[in-house]
Amino acid sequence: MSLSISYDSSFDGFLSVVFETYRQRLDVGDIVPERPYDSDVTPSVDLFMQPFHVETNADSASRLRRAVVNMAGEDVLNLLETAFRSEERGVEMKILAYLRVLFSKSDPGFARNPTSSEMLPLFLLARAVRHEAGGMLGMVRFNKAPDGSYIAEIEPKYDILEMIVGHFRGRFPNGRWAIVDVKRCYGAFYDGRHTEILDLPDTDTLSRSIAEKAPPDEFTRMWKSYYDTMAIKERLNPRLLRRCLPVRYWKHLHERQQNLAGPASRPTA
Amino acid sequence: MNLQEKLNILGDAAKYDVSCSSSGSSRGAPKGGLGSGCSAGICHTWSADGRCISLLKVLFSNACKYDCAYCINRRSNDIPRATFTPRELIDLTLEFYRRNYIEGLFLSSAVVGSPDATMEKLVYVAKELRTVHRFGGYIHLKAIPGASPRLLYEAGLYADRSSVNVEIPSDRQLQYLAPEKNYESIFRPMNFLAERKLEYSAGKRSRYTPKFLPAGQSTQMIVGASGESDLQILRLSAGFYHQQRMKRVYFSGYIPVNADKRLPALTTKPPLLREHRLYQADWLMRFYHFGHEEILDESNPNLDPDLDPKAMWALRHPEFFPIDLQTADYEMILRVPGIGVKSAQLIVSGRRFCKIRLEQLKKMGVVLKRAKYFIFNPDVPANLRRLYPEMLRPLLIARPKPAQLDFFSQLQAPSLPAPAQLSIAV
Repeated sequence: MSLSISYDSSFDGFLSVVFETYRQRLDVGDIVPERPYDSDVTPSVDLFMQPFHVETNADSASRLRRAVVNMAGEDVLNLLETAFRSEERGVEMKILAYLRVLFSKSDPGFARNPTSSEMLPLFLLARAVRHEAGGMLGMVRFNKAPDGSYIAEIEPKYDILEMIVGHFRGRFPNGRWAIVDVKRCYGAFYDGRHTEILDLPDTDTLSRSIAEKAPPDEFTRMWKSYYDTMAIKERLNPRLLRRCLPVRYWKHLHERQQNLAGPASRPTA
Repeated sequence: MNLQEKLNILGDAAKYDVSCSSSGSSRGAPKGGLGSGCSAGICHTWSADGRCISLLKVLFSNACKYDCAYCINRRSNDIPRATFTPRELIDLTLEFYRRNYIEGLFLSSAVVGSPDATMEKLVYVAKELRTVHRFGGYIHLKAIPGASPRLLYEAGLYADRSSVNVEIPSDRQLQYLAPEKNYESIFRPMNFLAERKLEYSAGKRSRYTPKFLPAGQSTQMIVGASGESDLQILRLSAGFYHQQRMKRVYFSGYIPVNADKRLPALTTKPPLLREHRLYQADWLMRFYHFGHEEILDESNPNLDPDLDPKAMWALRHPEFFPIDLQTADYEMILRVPGIGVKSAQLIVSGRRFCKIRLEQLKKMGVVLKRAKYFIFNPDVPANLRRLYPEMLRPLLIARPKPAQLDFFSQLQAPSLPAPAQLSIAV
């Protein structure tokens, strides 16, 4: 009977799972992350698989990292981690399939070939994650709190907060700011010197407390009215707008909201 | 007039400028200041017409002394006029920037007083931002035609990118539509800036070498206001890319804003499809190693509205196809309709290790609907390998959606002559 392996949803946790499958010669049927925030997506118990849990072990994870770097190089490890950030259902099995072929040493060119059937899906997934991270650089909206710090909430599809923090540290090195991923309930906090990644309480209380602390001010309203004047009405193109700026991001963009008073109000087309 | 009203008037006046890019200049935040440049450029939002907004695009003033027929800010129009003070504009830029609404400032202006007086104000704002506020974000300054070289030079030291808009793609039409302008006055600042940039980039460089217009120059042409052919437009823009080393040439489909007998009627729809085809041709020149003379020539001077320029080229040159993806040059793979830069690079790096199959191409994002007629692949059915251009053309054109007939609109516009006219004819 194959195993349905659960782990703590971190990349190190996943690497520990891979390490254990090799060490104990496990018959892996599925690898399932235990994520607190998307409990509704967690599939029901599979009757044909035996549940199994692997604890995260930093030592075995670092051994596996070293092995991947030796076999394929730093950039491939980086690519695997980026693809893993997509949190897509089944990405763990895809990475495992890639690593299996990589470690079997059956094909000498395999590590450098982006078009192999194991690598191509990971390559495209990593590209999608990087694309969202790049787009998010522009779509973070800071609100100014009365104490002079700036707070932004984001709700990206992929887990990209850590990929964009460096950009903002380079851009606002002297201010104090925070970017909070309200879906995954954690945030990056910068105090003028160091960045800290902290876990936060659940989504609802989080966005309410942020909205109370840093409400939209007059510059937000000026931005919204500036945004509305910039559209040329002879060229209105709602389809193009949706393609460039998908509706799932509108919730946290002030300029796409009808009513600026309530930050959590539903956007309308 | 409060700041918000000013911002709305001057933003509204600036929105017909197409340029929005914030790319081409990479810089860290200055010591003690804020703001950085990202060489890929960052779009911050998209307006309801689908155009990206990355810079705070405003005019310094819209009280213009010129009377160009195509421009909304011309002297003879009765519209509200406003002028920023430098202080207001700088505060607005910094506050928007700190909230991450914008990537920087795009500052243009109507000509107030003299070109030099106007340019001086623009340069002053850029200089204050860079030196007093230590602003490291993107600054795009419009070079005012007729401004003195000293001011243009200073603008180049503070701005990332500068632009002078050609607006009308031929000199004669420009002088007809904008009596105060001519090509000489537009090309002089353009060439001056291009030469200074060349001087700065020559010789040994270190990271302390001051930069001059790190993101280069751009320009813009209005399409469809005067009767130029696509060939003339592409030839002019190819010239800009080669001679002035422009980074971008923008096209703006003419939107009638003024009633003027020299221009198309107010009810004219903006030629969006033509603008789109011109941009496609522009992309072919910039990223696909096409020359402008390959895309269009004297015998067919206009782009095909039904077919993109790359497919058009492929149909005119059946002798190059089908190509074998396994052995063809990268430049040749780029020329296959349906294969873009990213897929071509993926094919070239992947084919060293394995055969490229059709289903892999599909996963890479190649548009097989178009590409399958032009590639030689064991998976492609043999009957697709030799197709004549005349047979291929209808296969490549997207079939128009059948339109739902509307009973009532037919009633309101009778196609039969009215009875009164009939009796006259009798």
